[in-house]
Amino acid sequence: MGRGHIEAEVRALITDVARVDGSAIGRDEDLVERLGIDSLQGLQMLAAVEKRFALRLPDEDLVRLHTIGRIADLVERLQQRSDS
Amino acid sequence: MKIGLIAMSGVRVRNAELASLGVTLPQFVSRGKVVASLPSLGLLTVAGLTPPGCDVHYREVAEISREDPLEPFDLVGISSFTAQIGEAYQLADRYRAMGVPVVLGGLHVSLMPDEAAAHADSIVLYGAEGAWPRLVDDFGRGRLQPRYEGLRAGVFERPHYAVPRFDLLAGRPYNRVTVQTSRGCPLNCEFCAASLRITSSYQQKPVDAAIAEIRAALAVRATSFLELADDNTFVNKKWGKAFLRAIAPLGIRWFTETDISIADDEELLDLLADSGCRQVLVGLESPDADGLDGLDPRNWKKARAGRYLEAIDRIQSRGISVNGCFIVGLDTHTPAVFEAVSDFVSRSGLLEVQVTVQTPFPNTPLYHRLAREGRLLEERPWDRCTLFDVTYRPKHMTVEELEGGLRWLFGQLYNEREFVKRKRHYMEIVKATMSRLV
Repeated sequence: MGRGHIEAEVRALITDVARVDGSAIGRDEDLVERLGIDSLQGLQMLAAVEKRFALRLPDEDLVRLHTIGRIADLVERLQQRSDS
Repeated sequence: MKIGLIAMSGVRVRNAELASLGVTLPQFVSRGKVVASLPSLGLLTVAGLTPPGCDVHYREVAEISREDPLEPFDLVGISSFTAQIGEAYQLADRYRAMGVPVVLGGLHVSLMPDEAAAHADSIVLYGAEGAWPRLVDDFGRGRLQPRYEGLRAGVFERPHYAVPRFDLLAGRPYNRVTVQTSRGCPLNCEFCAASLRITSSYQQKPVDAAIAEIRAALAVRATSFLELADDNTFVNKKWGKAFLRAIAPLGIRWFTETDISIADDEELLDLLADSGCRQVLVGLESPDADGLDGLDPRNWKKARAGRYLEAIDRIQSRGISVNGCFIVGLDTHTPAVFEAVSDFVSRSGLLEVQVTVQTPFPNTPLYHRLAREGRLLEERPWDRCTLFDVTYRPKHMTVEELEGGLRWLFGQLYNEREFVKRKRHYMEIVKATMSRLV
């Protein structure tokens, strides 16, 4: 799955969890500042990412994934790692 | 008539060591930030009760400079919790020195009316319902009275009830909206200084009125997260189920405070999850039954302590996180309580934890008992009523042991390893219930 596709999927999950238009958010915009997403919604979003892409985000990254770009990059890296 | 309603918002800790700890402990500050960033629903309700024709302005104290001239109003209303009451009095004194009449109201004023009256032209006791419209009318006629008593019952019944003026929040950066569905709590815990002190009995808003308010609040805020400003939402399970069925179609996410008895009702839990409830804050107070002895008149909490872990699991298994609240320094507590809370939290899988120090708020049963026993460190330690500063001598430990134990417990609970562990546990629950949640 390419990065563009991953980003689009992440945006769709944000739309579902936070009930906002994920397509209108910049790749590097802070989701907490931009959307007012609190820690609870953030966790629900990351859980949705894990479920959608069938992977486990490293625990140490859970407190740092505040932008669509960071989430998509990490998902891409984890997918590449599992493919190789 | 131009009326300024000023909220004394913000949460402060006086103990310098705890304050500095808070800067580096994300979960400790997160709930504090949420609370500090919520608008004053009480003053929005006062605005809603204001007779038509008045020009009402909502302000927060952070917007008011200590040096610059104050914004002119014909009448000023100030509401404050205990910890900020000193600043509220200073602001009131500044306005009165300008010749602007000041009305003080809110929980602290209702508990300490004579003290507040020294800084105000008029005070409002209990709810604003039944008092504020009369006060504004009297003021317009030049016959403002020094004291008004609002309703303690029937506050949600017409003609006294009014929808809060959520429109006054337009353009303000809150990420949550707040709506109240109930006032008071039947548990009547000794330490409580919440809305039960201004009500004569538990008051609950009719479901249709609550839903209409939520719609009104959401209409002016670009957010889908709602916080119910209740002290115990689901006392009446029949009302609760009707409310949950009515709020579900709104498609929002929301938070509230309630008691642990919701775990006893499977149907209620399912409705909670389906309605968009994402977190409940529950006052567990102490990790075991012995610690809860005598906390409430009926020992209601003590009777349920043995089932706390099972109850938390049942609630969280629906994807609803529990914010578990503990109070340290109760008269049943020895220095062993800090490790006991830490162990309980570790075993419980609680996503969020809030630990506070027992605080004798003014005119509560706890305050009077500690005063009788000569255990208050100061007679009026209002600026230290922050829930984190010690204001009395604990029964089975020293003040220093309580302060040190709290610091140790914060370090145990709010370090990144524990923080991530709790997050991971919650995410696994969310994934298991994902079809329901997303």
